[in-house]
Amino acid sequence: MIAAMTPTKAKTAIQTIDLSVSYNGKPALKAVNAEFYENTVTALIGPSGCGKSTLLRALNRMNDRIPDAQVQGKVLIDGKDIYDRRMNLTRLRREVGMVFQKPNPFPMSIFENVALGPRLHYGLKGRVLEEVVEDALRKAALWDEVKDDLKKNGLALSGGQQQRLCIARMLAVQPRILLMDEPCSALDPISTQKIEELIVELGKQYTVIVVTHNLQQAARISHYTGFLMYGEVVEWGETTQLFERPQKQETEDYIRGRFG
Amino acid sequence: MWRTRLFDNLVQAATWMAGGLLILTILAVFYYLFAESQYAFARKFPFGFRVALQPLNSEYRDDISMDPTASLLAAHREGSDELDDAEDATRLPLHEELVSMQPLVTATAQTADLNRLRPDELFRDCMRAPKRAEQGERFLLLAFAMPTYNGDTMELAWEPDVSFDPAYAPYEFRLRLVRAPEGVRIDPIEVNLNQQPKGRLALPVWKAHSPEEYLKGYLFELEARPTTTTTLATIQQFLKPDWAPTILYARFGMLPLLLATLLITALSMLFATPLGIAAAVYLSEQASPRVREWFKPILEILAAIPTVVLGYFGVMLIAPWLQRLFAEGLQLTSGRGLLATALMMTVFILPTIISLSEDALRAVPNSLREGAEALGLTLAERIRLVILPAAKSGLIAALLLGVARVMGETMIVWILSGGTPTMPDFSSPTAALGTLVKPTRGIPDTIAIEMGNVEFESPHYGHLFLLGLTLFVLTLGINLLGFVYRKRAQLQL
Repeated sequence: MIAAMTPTKAKTAIQTIDLSVSYNGKPALKAVNAEFYENTVTALIGPSGCGKSTLLRALNRMNDRIPDAQVQGKVLIDGKDIYDRRMNLTRLRREVGMVFQKPNPFPMSIFENVALGPRLHYGLKGRVLEEVVEDALRKAALWDEVKDDLKKNGLALSGGQQQRLCIARMLAVQPRILLMDEPCSALDPISTQKIEELIVELGKQYTVIVVTHNLQQAARISHYTGFLMYGEVVEWGETTQLFERPQKQETEDYIRGRFG
Repeated sequence: MWRTRLFDNLVQAATWMAGGLLILTILAVFYYLFAESQYAFARKFPFGFRVALQPLNSEYRDDISMDPTASLLAAHREGSDELDDAEDATRLPLHEELVSMQPLVTATAQTADLNRLRPDELFRDCMRAPKRAEQGERFLLLAFAMPTYNGDTMELAWEPDVSFDPAYAPYEFRLRLVRAPEGVRIDPIEVNLNQQPKGRLALPVWKAHSPEEYLKGYLFELEARPTTTTTLATIQQFLKPDWAPTILYARFGMLPLLLATLLITALSMLFATPLGIAAAVYLSEQASPRVREWFKPILEILAAIPTVVLGYFGVMLIAPWLQRLFAEGLQLTSGRGLLATALMMTVFILPTIISLSEDALRAVPNSLREGAEALGLTLAERIRLVILPAAKSGLIAALLLGVARVMGETMIVWILSGGTPTMPDFSSPTAALGTLVKPTRGIPDTIAIEMGNVEFESPHYGHLFLLGLTLFVLTLGINLLGFVYRKRAQLQL
């Protein structure tokens, strides 16, 4: 349906070096070395518990929330290790936005949902803020549906609209890297299609990393795909190649649906 | 199989019974309060004026007995049944005694009917069976001098009986000259006693030479014309700022009690709200699981302290401290009052508010916290801009439950309020400080104190139930509001 084209000559946006994460002593991610390129969509696939969400959350330090999580190795963004002690978390998350499996709009108006970030991060207000909000909503393909009703509570939207609102909220703080943790798994097929189109569109301007359970989805929207199992990268490469000519037996078994 | 089914059915039956019992209890309490407060409305409003002839320009002795011969024109104290006139009225002395001892006489007639006046039915005091406010009351009064009186003029003086305030009687009082004695030329007299409760009037001397001639003296009429119905009057009086249920002319104004209860509630919520919500935020957002594990049971223990213990703790600790702090300027004999009560109420309600607020905060889904964190909000911003707004309905419900519990809490006010009904006064800083630290009294402790001594089914008894009804309606309303907010909180999340 949407044929993702592999861009030529990509620049690295994020690089992980021997990244390991363990919860309460149990390893969830084992020495992962991966690269994510600018202006591309990378999909992370793998069976449940394989560590793909852990990898994603390690990229903007969301694992810090979990008291027992331990991280080793490095995650380099612009050559700087985000696990460095001097790293400013607020600035990191301004650079690296995230969308979750379940849409989580804040219990406030649509406008406020989107305006919250730019207001806090950049001190925007008035006309400028309104423009930023409109721009973010347009990029998230939600503007036309809500422009007359910006005062409506974000929770009153449909599931797909809520997810696009969360994407707009993320875009409004002007990140360069977008993390998406199974963004369509709680949505109906039509909403899923809209979000997929949106991801492809966003992939032209942002570094997008999507965790997904849906292999067809990964094939449809991503330029690169990483396949993980038991906390390790099994295979990593261009999506077309990985799906058509997998190098490893496990990859082939997984994408042919023999397990998972 | 049948055992499981039996168990299920029993559990279901028990649930229905418990629910039914609770609803029945609420209805029964409401009905009982409502039914018993009817005795407040069976009230007969008492009044009393003293009227006496005096030599010109004589001084009043004091407010109670301006003259030993004063006639007390009064409906009898309330609550009494029809009474025996002869027993409760003081007879006029014999003519010979009057001649030698009391040269000026005012005599009250036992009838309001002119044609039935008889000399042997004259009294000095006249306390009559009460009638309800709708019916009104008329008294006839004769005024004359003895032959031994040697002044040229005499004076009719009147004043309200001790502790009787015309403003607290739903009547329009008129003192009117019905008939002057033969041969005396005098202008008509009609005085509005509401406007002029205390006064005097010069009259030309007229002498009665025998008991038969008493009836030919000055004839006055005191009329108490009702201004409203008993029901309305009872409600109007209930809203007045004076609670004195045991004096002869009882006053049942609950305003000071209501205001004290509201002020205590407002003050303790003022202390407990920021403390409670801050503690709840700390527990739910910042504290490590270990701290939370310890804190929760401690809260539950605190919430289980009997209020009588809290009350006496306040008497031993807070009241003396407040007294020492403010004794000099305000001459306090004890520190009991609004502030002491509110402080102890804060201790009483804090555990509940913290616990319920924490529940409300923890009901905020984690996905919101993650979303806010991923957006780069600091902890303070996450709490202020996302978590607190998301928990708003639940927090309001928790606070409203706190309000309802403080409002109805009896033991702590009983022990710590000081027990004196006082109108709050915030007209000046000194007055406001006095209001805070001087004794006061709320609704629940008034019911608790007075219900034990009250005459069964008397107006006082009825008014205590009316107080109970007021409190019940207030707390029920607040609880219902809290219920609405709890429901809203459930719908939102």
